Amino acid sequence: MSKTVKDEILDKLKAAPQKEPPPRPIMPPLNELALNKEEMVEKLVETLTLVGCSVHRVRDSEEALEKLTEIARAEGLTKILASEDDVVSPLDLPEWGKKSNVKVFTAKDCRDREEFKRVAFEEAQAGVTGVDFAVAESGTLCLIHDEKQPRLVSLAPIRHIAVVPVDRIRPVYESVTDELFAAGRKAPSHLTFISGPSMTGDIQATLFRGMHGPKTVTVILVGQASC
Amino acid sequence: MKIKSEQFKEVAREELKTRHTRAHLDVIGLFIKELRKASMATFPDPSAALDLGRAIRAESVERLPALLEEFERNATANGAVVHWARDANEANQRILNIAQERNVRLVTKGKSMVTEETGLNEVLVKNGLEVFETDLGEFIIQLLERPPFHIQGPALNIPVQEICDLFLEKGVMKEPTLEPVELGHAARIFLRDKFHHVEMGITGVNFAVAETGTIINVENEGNIRLTKSSPPIQVSVMTLEKVVPTMQDAMHMLRLLCRNCTGQKIASYASMDTGPNKGAEVDGPGELHIVILDNGRSTFYRDPEAREILRCVRCGACMLECPVYGKIGGYPYGWAYSGPMGQVLNPLMIGQERTQDLYRACTSCGVCKTVCPAGIDHPKMFLRYRAHDVEGDPRYNATRRPWTEAGFMEMFTWATKRRWRWDMGIKAVRPFINRHAEQGFIRGIRGPLEGWFKSRDFPAMPRKTFRDRMRDREE
Repeated sequence: MSKTVKDEILDKLKAAPQKEPPPRPIMPPLNELALNKEEMVEKLVETLTLVGCSVHRVRDSEEALEKLTEIARAEGLTKILASEDDVVSPLDLPEWGKKSNVKVFTAKDCRDREEFKRVAFEEAQAGVTGVDFAVAESGTLCLIHDEKQPRLVSLAPIRHIAVVPVDRIRPVYESVTDELFAAGRKAPSHLTFISGPSMTGDIQATLFRGMHGPKTVTVILVGQASC
Repeated sequence: MKIKSEQFKEVAREELKTRHTRAHLDVIGLFIKELRKASMATFPDPSAALDLGRAIRAESVERLPALLEEFERNATANGAVVHWARDANEANQRILNIAQERNVRLVTKGKSMVTEETGLNEVLVKNGLEVFETDLGEFIIQLLERPPFHIQGPALNIPVQEICDLFLEKGVMKEPTLEPVELGHAARIFLRDKFHHVEMGITGVNFAVAETGTIINVENEGNIRLTKSSPPIQVSVMTLEKVVPTMQDAMHMLRLLCRNCTGQKIASYASMDTGPNKGAEVDGPGELHIVILDNGRSTFYRDPEAREILRCVRCGACMLECPVYGKIGGYPYGWAYSGPMGQVLNPLMIGQERTQDLYRACTSCGVCKTVCPAGIDHPKMFLRYRAHDVEGDPRYNATRRPWTEAGFMEMFTWATKRRWRWDMGIKAVRPFINRHAEQGFIRGIRGPLEGWFKSRDFPAMPRKTFRDRMRDREE
């Protein structure tokens, strides 16, 4: 039997002289790991702002919807695309849309992939999503993508509005990945870390936001850290 | 892409005259350096963070075969299809087959140095596919048909006027503009239509996590996310060494990569695929293909020192720090990989006989080594290559040095072996050297030393040596 390409490559690698991997040095823990809950919220607000997000803190879902109305009015939004994750669903955005004169699309409303893509690329002026986690370390929103959280909602429209419950804030990336990739658990097929708007400096190093993804990322932080 | 590393000197000479290149390299270099320092300072102990990154990459390379097997096993269990390719041609053919079997006509690509290495675009286009690079810089150089200027900013050096003319000529936009932001916007609009209708997406890979079978891409523009979200088929190409042992390792490397690349704590997007989508989703790929490319790497892996270059995470820090790259930019290196990492990698990939000028274009300042978050000792390898040349080592396609150089070295060694030979020699040679002096300075001596004087001069030699003068004082 002839060797497969894989075996051929691996055999060559295995035939090479082996060296002992160097020991792993100890690194002092990141500062964020020492924060209490309220400090962590403050740190997240700071890092989100630093990466170019605008952040609004509200007390509860009701205020979150009011904030959304305010944003929709200020930006003149009439068509938005929303995901149906466990943060956004309870807000019942379609119902909110009727009151606020905003047409709210969800994947469920679309006949098929083509129609969904047309809405995402051509119709929606903003995408509204929840998040699975937010990481204080660097102002990072973590989204697990599945049928309730389509990939294009936070990506194709020019504005991304993310609803972040404060109890989903974590200090560092490992707090998220240790949980999601724990042994014996089915890992998410697609996980995205979003830290600020899409940008580029490719022409003359001039910073340009909204290169291919959203130009603005608005975060609505919901809830109190203490309770 | 045609490899032009042999023309290093000629291209470098031309680039030194390009005012635009120089101005940009000066400003961008300084700017990114400061950002990098500031972002590294957010670690409680930046050197400990660097050391950990270096240990992770060293371990990844030393355990390479085992980690690749583990990665493949887990990626396959997640539902991805893993393909192995010996060389560029095999990888390109495999990707072409995937596209043709599924009647794909429109492809978008995320920036990936490995597909620059294999020249994938050319193969796909020749076979009738429409292929769009979607990273803004990569899109521009695809239209210009040029190699990348820098692995992160492939088109940083192109003047706006040239981009404007190019965009008008290629139908990217209709109205002329010299505003970088408007040019970027024109590219957004043009490529958005491609993203909407793309049938297959091709990306590179920043990290492949052995423990989980996950591939990770890091970017700022969103083009890679779109390439992985819109089409039903995703093909991600990685070279052997992209693998890291664990997810925790990947997270630490993510921190180091972004800080050393653009001075960000983290790039706008990091997207992680653990298999294709599960079937109920309205977007994302139903098929995920991962192509693992060797292309000569398993051959030089046998050399425990040479294999260190496989630790590279393509952050580009060594380039922006390198005083030579800082003057000549990326073109002279003649291939996808430029700067110090290219100077180490290219000789191993395409042979020393075609890359002699690359590893000699070094001031031995060692800054590349000090900033490298992967722990690569570039200067050590440059010296190794020069030693290979002296020995004429056939395994590296080394070219022996001219007999005159070898003869001179023999003579020099002979002369320095005895004190009396040296003392006599330096006295005897003075009048010959001083014959070239003008007003107390020697500005050039014709013959084999001519090159040395190109950018230097030398004071005429005094009658007495330093030792003579010291002895005179003591008496």
